[in-house]
Amino acid sequence: MEQIIVNGLYLGAQYALIALGLTLIFSLMNVMNFAHGQMYVMGGFITYTVVSQFNIPFFIALIISGMALAVIGALIEKFLFRPVIKKSKRDESTMLLAAGIGFFLDSVILLAFGEKQRGVPKIIDGVFNWDFRIIMPYDRIVIGCIAIAMIIAFMLLMHYSKAGRAMRALAQDKVAATLMGVNVDRYQMIGFALGAMLAGVVGGLLVTITGINLGMGGPTSTKAFIMIMIGGAGVIPGAIVGGFILGMMESVGLSVLSQYGDITYLLIFASLMIFLAIRPHGLMGKPWG
Amino acid sequence: MKKSHFIKASLLTSLVGIAISGPALADNPTLKIGFVGVTSGPAAAWGISNQRSMETRADWINEIGGVKIGDKTYDIEIVAFDDQKDPKRAVAGMEKMAQEGIHYVVGPNVDDGAAAVRPVAEQKGIMYFPYAFPKSLYTAPASNAVLGMVANYQSGPAIYKYLMEHKGVKKVAFVAANESDPLSQRDGGVEAAKKLGLDVVSSNVTYQVDTTDFTPVILPVIKSRPDLLVLSGVSPANAPQLIRSARELGYTGLISTETAQDANVLKEGAGDLANGFISVGGASTPELASDTMREFVKRYTKKYGEYNDESNTKVYALEYIIATLQADPDAIDDVQDFQETMDTFEAPNPYMVGNAKLKYVGDTSFGQKRQLSVPLVVNVYKDGKFETLFVAQVD
Amino acid sequence: MNKKILAYVALFLVFVYAVVPMLINISGRLDFYYTLTSVALLSIASAGVWLTFYIGRINIGQGAFALAGGYVSAILISQYGFNFWVTLPIAGLFCAVLSVFIGLPILRLRGVYFAMVTLVLTEVMRLTTLALPITQGAKGITSLPLPSGLEIFGLKLIPDFSTLENPKVGFYMMAITLMIIAYAVLYRIVNSRLGHLCRSLQQNEELASSIGVNTTYLRVLTYSISSFFGGIAGASFVAITQSIYPSSFQVADSINFMLNCFLGGLGYVFGPMLGTLMLYFGWDLLFTIGKYQMLVYSSLLIILMLFLPNGVLSLFDRKEKR
Repeated sequence: MEQIIVNGLYLGAQYALIALGLTLIFSLMNVMNFAHGQMYVMGGFITYTVVSQFNIPFFIALIISGMALAVIGALIEKFLFRPVIKKSKRDESTMLLAAGIGFFLDSVILLAFGEKQRGVPKIIDGVFNWDFRIIMPYDRIVIGCIAIAMIIAFMLLMHYSKAGRAMRALAQDKVAATLMGVNVDRYQMIGFALGAMLAGVVGGLLVTITGINLGMGGPTSTKAFIMIMIGGAGVIPGAIVGGFILGMMESVGLSVLSQYGDITYLLIFASLMIFLAIRPHGLMGKPWG
Repeated sequence: MKKSHFIKASLLTSLVGIAISGPALADNPTLKIGFVGVTSGPAAAWGISNQRSMETRADWINEIGGVKIGDKTYDIEIVAFDDQKDPKRAVAGMEKMAQEGIHYVVGPNVDDGAAAVRPVAEQKGIMYFPYAFPKSLYTAPASNAVLGMVANYQSGPAIYKYLMEHKGVKKVAFVAANESDPLSQRDGGVEAAKKLGLDVVSSNVTYQVDTTDFTPVILPVIKSRPDLLVLSGVSPANAPQLIRSARELGYTGLISTETAQDANVLKEGAGDLANGFISVGGASTPELASDTMREFVKRYTKKYGEYNDESNTKVYALEYIIATLQADPDAIDDVQDFQETMDTFEAPNPYMVGNAKLKYVGDTSFGQKRQLSVPLVVNVYKDGKFETLFVAQVD
Repeated sequence: MNKKILAYVALFLVFVYAVVPMLINISGRLDFYYTLTSVALLSIASAGVWLTFYIGRINIGQGAFALAGGYVSAILISQYGFNFWVTLPIAGLFCAVLSVFIGLPILRLRGVYFAMVTLVLTEVMRLTTLALPITQGAKGITSLPLPSGLEIFGLKLIPDFSTLENPKVGFYMMAITLMIIAYAVLYRIVNSRLGHLCRSLQQNEELASSIGVNTTYLRVLTYSISSFFGGIAGASFVAITQSIYPSSFQVADSINFMLNCFLGGLGYVFGPMLGTLMLYFGWDLLFTIGKYQMLVYSSLLIILMLFLPNGVLSLFDRKEKR
C-alpha cells in the first residue's frame, strides 16, 4: 500500500507540472494548446542533445531547454496565436492552429532528432528500499522533489510577483484587468512563454527517467487535458490537484484492478467520464468552462 | 480580403514541392518497389527503420550499376507512403502503389493496416510483405501477403523452450500494451507457454503505450514472482522503461521479448539494468554477420548518421523481392509467376556467414509458403551490444 | 429553395457523378477513386461533428461512433450473415441510440469540458472493443465479404459488388450518394425551425431555455443525428477495407473530424466537406515530397489558419464586412 501511494505521488508530481503550463495558457488566452505535448517532447530532446552531444551537465541542459522553449513559446504566441485570436469569430478556431503547430513541431522533431527513443543516463544510481515496503530509485526521488519544488516556486511566482498578479488578474477578468492598466498582449506572451517553458523543463526532467520519443507528444497533451478537466480548466491549483488525482488513480487503479487485466484503463477512463458528468466543471473550475 | 496572400502562399509551396520532387536521372530502366508504413507519429520508429533499410540497399545497388533481372539491368527506386498507422490511409497508400504500377510492396507495419490493404492488393495484383502476425493474412484464401519476419508464435516457443532447458525457467508472466498487436502477441505467447508446460503466473496486466512511469504497471506482475517476464510486442520506446522498472523493483529473473530492439536505445534508457535482456534480431551480431551485412550497416550509418538494430530483420524483404525476380524475370509484372516461383525459390543468404539460404517458408504455420525465411537469431543484450544466444530456423 | 441554389446543386451532382469519374478515367489516376471515397465518407462523419458545433459543443468523440458503427456492421455481417446494405442503417441507428445514453449526462458539459470528455470517449470505445468478446478483441474482424446486391420487390437496386469489374467505382458512387444525402439533411436541418433553435443554443443556452426551448431534448436530438452520421461513415469503411480493428478509428481520427470542420469554416454547412477534401487530399497530394510531407502539410495548415481563421469558406463572404 505504501508503495502504491509513493508511486502515485511521484506520478502526480510529474503530471501536475505538465498540466500547470497547459492550464496557465488556457486561463490567459482560452486556447486549448494541442501542441503542449510536442513542446514537452521538444524540451526532452533538447536536454538529451545538450547532455549527450555536448557533454554539458544535466542541470545546465535543463535550464537551456527551458529557455529554448520559452523563446519558442513567445514566438508562437506573438506571430501565430495573437493574430488568429484577433481575427477569428469563435475562440475554438485556435484549436486548428494549435493542432497545426503540434503537427509542425512533430515533423521538426522527427527531422532534427530522429525517430529513436532517447534517454540520458541516470543522474544518481541506487534504489531506496525500506524493508521492501517502499522501493524507490534515488533518481526518481530527486526528480519528484525537483518537480514539487518547481510547483511551489511557480505558485509563489504567481502569487507574489508583479507578472504573476497581472496574469491572475487577466485570467479572472480580462476586461477589468485591461481597464486597470494591465498590458494584455505583453502578459499573454509572458504567460505562453512560461507555459511552454514548464513543458520544456518537464520534458528535460523526465528524459533521465522515462526517456523521450517522437510519439509522446499527442498522448501527453491528452493526459494533461484530462488532468486540468479533473481539477477545473484554467484554475492553477486545479491543475495541481488534477495531476495528483490522476497519478493516484493510475497507481491505485493499476494495483487494485490488475486482476481485471485489459479493462483497467477502461474503468479509469469511464470513472473519469462519470465524475465529470456529476461535476461538470471539475473540482474547482469556473462555470464558463 | 486576404485572397492574394493565400494564392501567393499556395503558389510558393507548390513551387517548393516541385523543386523537392525533381525526377531522378538514371540511364537504366527503374524498378519501383513500394513501401507503405508508418513513418510519422508515435510508431514512426518501426516504419522509418524499414524505409531506410530499403533506401540504403537501393542506393547501394544503384551505385554498383543496378541489378540484372532477366536480360535487363534495373535501377531500384523506393516509393514510400506514410500511412500514419491509420488503416484507412494504408489502403490509400496501396492504391497509390497500384497507380504507380508497383507490384511489390513492403509493409504495412501493423495488424490493422495489413488486414485493410488485403482487398486492394489482391485485386490490383500486388504482393505485399507486412510485419504483422495474424495468421489469416497468410493462410489461404489469402494469397498476396508474405510475412516479412519471424512471427512471435514461432519465436516465442523456441525462446521459452531454450530458457526452460538452459535456465530452468518454470514460471512465466506476460505484460502487453493495450493495443491490437501486442495483445494478440501476448495471447499467442500464453498459449505457447502453456503448451510447453510452463506455469503462467500473470498474463492480464496491460499498459497504455503513453505510460511515463511503469512502476505501478509492473508492481503486480513482480508480486506474482515469475522466473521469466515476457514483454509481448513491446515497442522499442517502452522496452527500456519496463526493464528498468522491473529491475528497480528488485526483479532478478529473466526478461525477454519477441520483437526486434535497438541496443543503443536500451543502453540509453536502461543502462546496465538491461543486461541479460533477450530479444529477437537479424544477423548483425559479430558471430553471424557477413561482410555484406557489415557493409550494409556501414552504408546505413553513413547515410543516416546512426544505425538502427531493428533494421537487421528489415533488410531482408527487399533482398527477397529482387532475388526472386532474378530467379523468375517474368514475375516483374505478374505476381502469379512470383507466387509459383516462391514454392521452389532458393538463393544464398548474403547477410549471414555460412551457407544460410534465402527461401520461402511457412508451410507449418500457414499451410502455404508465405513467409520469408529469416534466421531466428535470439540475442541477449550485454553492455551496449547484442550477443547471440542461439540461432534457429522456422519452417 | 430558389432557382440559383437548384442550379448549383444540379451542377454539383453532374460534377461528382459524371465529370469526376470521366476525369479519373481520362487521366488514368484510378487511385483517386479511393481517395475521393474516403473524403466523402469522412466528410459525413465531419458533418456530424459540425452539427454539434452548431449547438455550441466541441465534439472530439466522433471516432467513437464511427468505430461503434463499424463494429455493428462487421458483427452483423460476419456472425449473423446480414446484407451490408441492411447493416448500414442499423449501424447508424445503433449509434444514435447509444449517443442518447451517453449524451444525456455529458451534454450538460460545455466548452472544453465537453471537448475533453468526448476525447476520452474515443479512447473508452477503443478499449471497450478491445475488451468485449463479441468484437473478438485484439484480433479484429477480418475477411468480410464485399457488399452483396440489394433487391426490393424484384427490383434490383444495387448490384453485387463482387461481380463489379471495379468495386472501387461502386464504392465511390455509394460514398458520394451517402454524402449528398447527409449534407441535404444537414442543410434542411440548418434551414428549419430546428436550425433556428440550435443557433439559439449556440448563442445563449440559458436565454433559450428561459423562453421555453427544451434545451435537453434539442441537444440530445442533434447529438444523436451527429452520431448517426458517424456510425454510417464507420460502417461504410468496414465495407471497403473488409476488416475492422479497435484501432480503425482512434483519437487521431476524432481530432481530424473536428479539424475538418474548423478548416472548412464553422459557419458554413458545406465547410466540413471542403475541409475534409483539403485535409485528406492535401496529405495524399504531398506524398511525393517524402520525408518533408508532414512539415509542408503542417506549415500549409498554419498559414491557412493565419490568413483565414474563420475557415476557407470565409473567403467567399465578402458581403459581411466588419
